[in-house]
Amino acid sequence: MFTDYRPNKGYDEYFSAGEQPRSALKPLLSSLGALGLDQLNRNHAAAGMLLKRLGATFRLNDSGGRVGERILPFDPLPRLISSGEWQRLERGLTQRLEAIDLFLADIYGDQSILRDGVIPRDDVESSQGWRPQLQGFTPPLGKWCQISGLDLVRDGQGTWRVLEDNLRCPSGVAYFLENRRVMKRMFPSLFSGRTVQPIDSYPSQLLQTLRDLAPWTDSPRVALLTPGVFNSAYFEHSYLAQQMGIPLVEGRDLACEDGRVWMRTTRGLEAVDVIYRRIDDDFLDPFVFRKDSMLGVRGLMEVYAQGRVAIANAPGTGIADDKLIYAYVPEMVRYYLGEEPIIENVPTYLCARPDDQAYVLAHLNELVVKAVSEAGGYGMLIGPHASEVEILEFAEKIQANPRNYIAQPTLELSTVPSLSEGELYPCHVDLRPYVLRGKQAWVTPGGLTRVALKRGSLVVNSSQGGGCKDTWIVEETPC
Amino acid sequence: MLSRVADSLYWINRYVERAENISRFAEVSEAMALDCPPGSAEPWQPLIDASGDRALFDALYPGGGPDQVVEFLVRSEGNPSSIVNCIAMARENARQIRDVITTEMWEQINGLYLTLLESEGFWDQPPQEQLREIRRGCQLFYGITDATLSRDLSWHFGRLGRLIERADKTTRILDVKYFLLLPSPEEVGGVLDELQWISLLRSAGAYQMFRQSELGVISPKAVATFLLLDPVFPRSVRYCLDRIHDTLQVIAGRSVPGAPEELECLVGLTLARWSYTKIDALIADGLHEAIDALQRDLNNLHALIHTRYFVLPGSVNPEDNPGAPAAQASVSVSATSHDLACAPA
Repeated sequence: MFTDYRPNKGYDEYFSAGEQPRSALKPLLSSLGALGLDQLNRNHAAAGMLLKRLGATFRLNDSGGRVGERILPFDPLPRLISSGEWQRLERGLTQRLEAIDLFLADIYGDQSILRDGVIPRDDVESSQGWRPQLQGFTPPLGKWCQISGLDLVRDGQGTWRVLEDNLRCPSGVAYFLENRRVMKRMFPSLFSGRTVQPIDSYPSQLLQTLRDLAPWTDSPRVALLTPGVFNSAYFEHSYLAQQMGIPLVEGRDLACEDGRVWMRTTRGLEAVDVIYRRIDDDFLDPFVFRKDSMLGVRGLMEVYAQGRVAIANAPGTGIADDKLIYAYVPEMVRYYLGEEPIIENVPTYLCARPDDQAYVLAHLNELVVKAVSEAGGYGMLIGPHASEVEILEFAEKIQANPRNYIAQPTLELSTVPSLSEGELYPCHVDLRPYVLRGKQAWVTPGGLTRVALKRGSLVVNSSQGGGCKDTWIVEETPC
Repeated sequence: MLSRVADSLYWINRYVERAENISRFAEVSEAMALDCPPGSAEPWQPLIDASGDRALFDALYPGGGPDQVVEFLVRSEGNPSSIVNCIAMARENARQIRDVITTEMWEQINGLYLTLLESEGFWDQPPQEQLREIRRGCQLFYGITDATLSRDLSWHFGRLGRLIERADKTTRILDVKYFLLLPSPEEVGGVLDELQWISLLRSAGAYQMFRQSELGVISPKAVATFLLLDPVFPRSVRYCLDRIHDTLQVIAGRSVPGAPEELECLVGLTLARWSYTKIDALIADGLHEAIDALQRDLNNLHALIHTRYFVLPGSVNPEDNPGAPAAQASVSVSATSHDLACAPA
């Protein structure tokens, strides 16, 4: 089955440089061989239909009509990570989020990291994610990031690195959970001969994390706040609410009165203790943030400030999504924890620094340039794949607003065999594990592996032709 | 339960019930049409009147014949009550409250929607097969609902929508066909085309149960009695009103009756009116008028349920929320099928 498969020059997770299968892969490769490419393709098509029937779809536009719904393309070849390697990554993720949380508490509190000159004050205060309204505020449990999804990649040598921190409303966890369900249903034979760490406890862990945030009651009422059915992640919002058995609410279902947040129900108003919000800070409360927001709840921030409702993640965490602030996270780990980062960043040039800017401008054709506040693969220049004109345009943009751009070397992301046009092809992948931090920290076993299904593409985002894979954490030696 | 969620549950069930009813009487008419002389409009035109959509049909298909009637009822995009639109709206409402309904309910309504919208072979089947499959898809949805959903408020609001729609459709079918088959009251007991009456009963899903009832011989009076006043047939008006009354009591959740609200008054009076009456009295006073009054009562009932449960309390009024974007508009429509219109979406 893999006779025509030729890994790229970078790091392939199935085959080593000598094109020998990696040892942990052997049982899977023999199950795949027994299945055969034809059957794999047939089951793959059936899996697509299944996902559609389950409604695991996102909307491409806001048409709301009968068109424009798509599933996230699902690739049936799982990605394997050994449990030993995973334990190290877990520690690294927990460490990183601990540092980021301390950073958030600090900048909205004493600001010692700014006074000590570890991070320039201006870099913080000029960020689009900076919310000065929250200065002096302490969230429940003193923690800011309850639910995070960090993007990890492996470079050409196979070394794991953090590519981005997503602390506002990281999405994709529903696909992570559904992919496993589809894998078990459509490809049961691939599981034979080994134990894959189960992932089904995520909804229970998430619910516990959210309940932890309301120490003032024994039976907290938790609700998931969605922008509504037209949001591209709506499937995930409804899926998570269903799995946790909590109400899925929109801004119009909530009201603030008498210092509390209430849901409008058929039996009158019911109090809400914890809000898992899947809308951005800007839209949470038109009194405090964007005045034109239709999605939020008037007066929510006042109730929050009085400590009578918890919001996860805490408003204000978005500053750590800023790609300029990302560059300082290893410093935060050293500053707050006195430790060396277990997972390193990707080397990053800050265009706000004159030396870095000069280097970036001279090497645009080699680098990946990113706008600091964009996500989803937008606002990006991939130097080696860009035209002269695009490079010139980006050079102008950088000079006009250096604060807004960072640059990184173009990584030869690791590859995993994937079905592309009916054949196996080495496609680039990244990984988004999810980290929950209530009273205890908990990391999902594995995460959402996103895969660039367009041949040769380095962009894994669903908006740019990306798909996803199931991710298996497995014991070193097959049982 | 969130008011918005109650609203969606109610409408999912109304739409599915509506689609089921339309598919049933279109299916019966397809079979009937094969017995009619070529070119005759019967039995198609009454279907348009039964669904209360005459004006819309004439606007969309001026001078339309049997093929256009079927198109209008089943697939037309311009008819908000076409089967395909009903299923699409039911599915859209279900999508909005996927967290409340069971996964199996969602899979069923979503699967039916995908079949109608995307399944290659579906529309190549003979028409009666298409309609049968739609009807069974709707019935499967109720079955799954009853087998998987807890009997809490969500189930009761769903049932309420289903019952109100069913009562409405049964009366419409009876109203149109009865007077078509029986132009003047003097003809009661006169010669009748038994096949036509059988088809009326079949359109209301009532033929077999009518045969098993004590009424026995098919006569206009017996058919009207069965569809309006039968106490145990689940599609009769009286049965539906009885269950609507029960359901509303559960929803109101009042163990001790107090001074009745407007909604309680209306449902209680309507139930009494159709429980404590004889068919002879109804016919003597004008059956058509009685049915008309019932339909008005059903519309008012809907309006009162809407204000009592779906928009309270202190909902955002237009002043608070100027120019709410389409993304905020719920998928709901007006009370009756003939003035049904989609919210801007």
